[in-house]
Amino acid sequence: MHTVTIDGVKVKVKEGATILDAAQKAGIWIPTLCYHPSVSNYATCRICMVELDRGEWKQLVTACNYPVRKDIVVSVSSKEAVNARRGVMELLLARSPDSEELKEIALRMGVKGTSYPKVTESQRNCILCGLCTSVCEEVIGQSAIGFSGRGVDRTVATPFRLASEDCIGCGACAAICPVGTIKIRIHEDTGEVEISPFKSRAKLLVCEECGARMVTEPVAKSMFDRVKIDWEEFRNRARLCPKCRRKRSAKALELSGNL
Amino acid sequence: MKKASKKIIDTPQKLESLRNKLEKQKSPSAKSISICIGTGCAAQGSRKIYELFCEAVKDSGSKVEINTKCVGCHGFCERGPIVVVQPGDILYQNVEEPDVEEIFRETVLKGAIVERLLYKDPTTEALAKTPDEIPFYKSQQRIVLLNNGIIDPTNIEDYIAVGGYGALSKALFSMSPDEIIDEVDKAGLRGRGGGGFNTARKWRSCRNAEGTPKYVICNGDEGDPGAFMDRSIMEGNPHSVIEGMIIGAYAIGSSQGYIYVRNEYPLAVDHLTNALSQARERGFLGENILGSSFSFDIKINRGGGAFVCGESTALMASLEGRTGEPRAKYVHTVESGLNEKPTNLNNVETWANVPAIINKGSSWFASIGTEGSKGTKVFSLVGNVENTGLVEVPMGMTLRRIIYEIGGGVKNGKKFKAVQTGGPSGGCIPAEHLDTPVDFDELTKLGSMMGSGGMIVMDEDTCMVNVAKYFVEFLKKESCGKCTPCREGLSQMLYILERITKGEGEAGDIEKLKTLPKLLEGTALCALGKTAANPVLSTIRYFQKEYETHIKEQRCPAKVCKGLFSYEIDAELCKACGICKKECPVDAISGEKKVPHVIDQEKCTKCGNCFLKCPFNSIIKV
Repeated sequence: MHTVTIDGVKVKVKEGATILDAAQKAGIWIPTLCYHPSVSNYATCRICMVELDRGEWKQLVTACNYPVRKDIVVSVSSKEAVNARRGVMELLLARSPDSEELKEIALRMGVKGTSYPKVTESQRNCILCGLCTSVCEEVIGQSAIGFSGRGVDRTVATPFRLASEDCIGCGACAAICPVGTIKIRIHEDTGEVEISPFKSRAKLLVCEECGARMVTEPVAKSMFDRVKIDWEEFRNRARLCPKCRRKRSAKALELSGNL
Repeated sequence: MKKASKKIIDTPQKLESLRNKLEKQKSPSAKSISICIGTGCAAQGSRKIYELFCEAVKDSGSKVEINTKCVGCHGFCERGPIVVVQPGDILYQNVEEPDVEEIFRETVLKGAIVERLLYKDPTTEALAKTPDEIPFYKSQQRIVLLNNGIIDPTNIEDYIAVGGYGALSKALFSMSPDEIIDEVDKAGLRGRGGGGFNTARKWRSCRNAEGTPKYVICNGDEGDPGAFMDRSIMEGNPHSVIEGMIIGAYAIGSSQGYIYVRNEYPLAVDHLTNALSQARERGFLGENILGSSFSFDIKINRGGGAFVCGESTALMASLEGRTGEPRAKYVHTVESGLNEKPTNLNNVETWANVPAIINKGSSWFASIGTEGSKGTKVFSLVGNVENTGLVEVPMGMTLRRIIYEIGGGVKNGKKFKAVQTGGPSGGCIPAEHLDTPVDFDELTKLGSMMGSGGMIVMDEDTCMVNVAKYFVEFLKKESCGKCTPCREGLSQMLYILERITKGEGEAGDIEKLKTLPKLLEGTALCALGKTAANPVLSTIRYFQKEYETHIKEQRCPAKVCKGLFSYEIDAELCKACGICKKECPVDAISGEKKVPHVIDQEKCTKCGNCFLKCPFNSIIKV
């Protein structure tokens, strides 16, 4: 165990825990965008900068992936750290001026706006944090999206920017996106779900009885592949939503006179 | 296989006797013709010259053996192709195909000199016969480049003949790994790739790190604009790099090495591949090197040419087959690098210094250079300088001596304005600091850096705002885009610089150009972003007035930024030929026959067509 002193608050953490872990334990808020506990950490957004006191000199480090390997002293509220975080946020606001989610975090950080003009072509407010690509690869196991291009031309995309066959329409990317860039759209006419902006679509299971929408077919299939249930057999059962299936079972029991 | 086993050198004694044998074959009166086939000379047709010499030798039917060989870069690329004839060490420069016959007839066969091909001092007009008489070579001290231009890089015996692999033999059989690291430590060797980190400390950390296997890597991803030091070493003396790596691997306890070289260096890839297989054939690589219990081998990986892949973690990601993007180095690569194993990465030039240190000892090495920077450094001297080329000087030589004594001063008699050192992460140093001794720490104090050794000389016609813009544009293109500050910050910086060079600069732009770099330095993920602002900061530091003139007066003092100066016709020089009038796309030039022409400033779009086309230089920038 090592002691981390954050803005004067002392907390004990295990070897290899991050400064962010320690801050959370100490109840000190550090803004994050590209951090999520369920995926690996790439420290791309640089919004969680804190100042590490190395005794002879001080150094700005990212809280989300700096591993604690000895007792350390960290400042979240030092002028240097605050300015660094605000500076990065201003750059992000210039890139994605329309994201309400981003503005909200900015306000909480005390950033009211940006002095920079919008100079890079961004993909619908995407801040390129990489959470969506990580969740798709590491948690869902599909790798339907990834980074494409370099530098300012970097975008998150499907291969060749075509609707991806690997996308199962689970919507994890949309759920994890910290700035609300990725959206789930339902197409009533075709009974499909679309993950925007990637154009990937997947058919939704619809209850034969009441018409209620359930998960997408590929999501259900991947689930049942994992627990080794025959897909065709499942398809037969999956014609009804759980509610209607319960009703039908109840009716069957009633008809058989077992009640 | 039988043949290979015959060639194998499995004891230090065998190496020694091979060297003695090779040395005996060399007689001081032996005739030889060395043709530089480094990329600079090769681009000017030196391969063909080599072939012509070979034919000449064959046709002459000479009874005396005449050895014709290809050698690596001599450094004096400005005067290529370079041919050196022995005996006498006679250096011919700017040799062209028709000269071959004369050189062969006069010098090789008769021992006479072809004066017109000798180097002529531009000021004294004195002729120089040998390299030692040429000022470009006179002030250099060569350790790394010592055998470039002497040995055939494709022939391992040439390297062995000059003492090659002797350091390896010494290290393996008379030194312990710790002793080797101590020796490198005492020598004071610092990394030649840019950071200037203490090499021995890196080796020791990697040796002490837990985990196997351990890897050693040679970073040959030289990507700075105008830099070709590492390229010339890999092309001209690949075995020196390989020998350095084997010694390092033995000291660190590594069994696998990688050379990461960019694919844009086909000759380097070629020579390294060839050198590796020859070294393997002789038993310097593979199992039980030189009959010892130490085993090690090296693989070559060709990079796709991304500048960021010169960054150690990005390079390792690329080696692993992933996108070449850097990662945080809070846990150092010596602990967890390639494949998350302890990895020691050094630059080409650093590795090439190792055999010399082991051979001649740390005190010899430490006697060269300055207090904090030992040994020599290779620079590629380019830009507006008379003698473009590769120079190796002891650390601590002043910029003035490098540029004027070795480089021959600024080209075309122009005035010196600044010298850019350290590549895109470096900075511009003005004339008042020309007497600064060049070493790691002094250059950093001036707001620049040693970097990998690029040195770009700029004359009075250079606009410093434009220079800053060039480097920021380069870095913006080369940024991987992974982290916010580098990706977005560089775009913002470039936007401001573009605005200034268009005459649309605003009050407060200079302030913004000072704060953005600070943000990048503190928050960017890797060194590319952290140092990206150096060209901007150093030009503001020394040339702020030039920025102000651009912003306040909408004027470019160096007359480089289009739109911030105008073209006029000098009535005295104008011959009224009418070419400019014809070339002007917007009919801004008027004038009758025999009457000097005039540019209508209202109509002129400052495209510069007339300036380029006027045969009498009568169009001037004002």
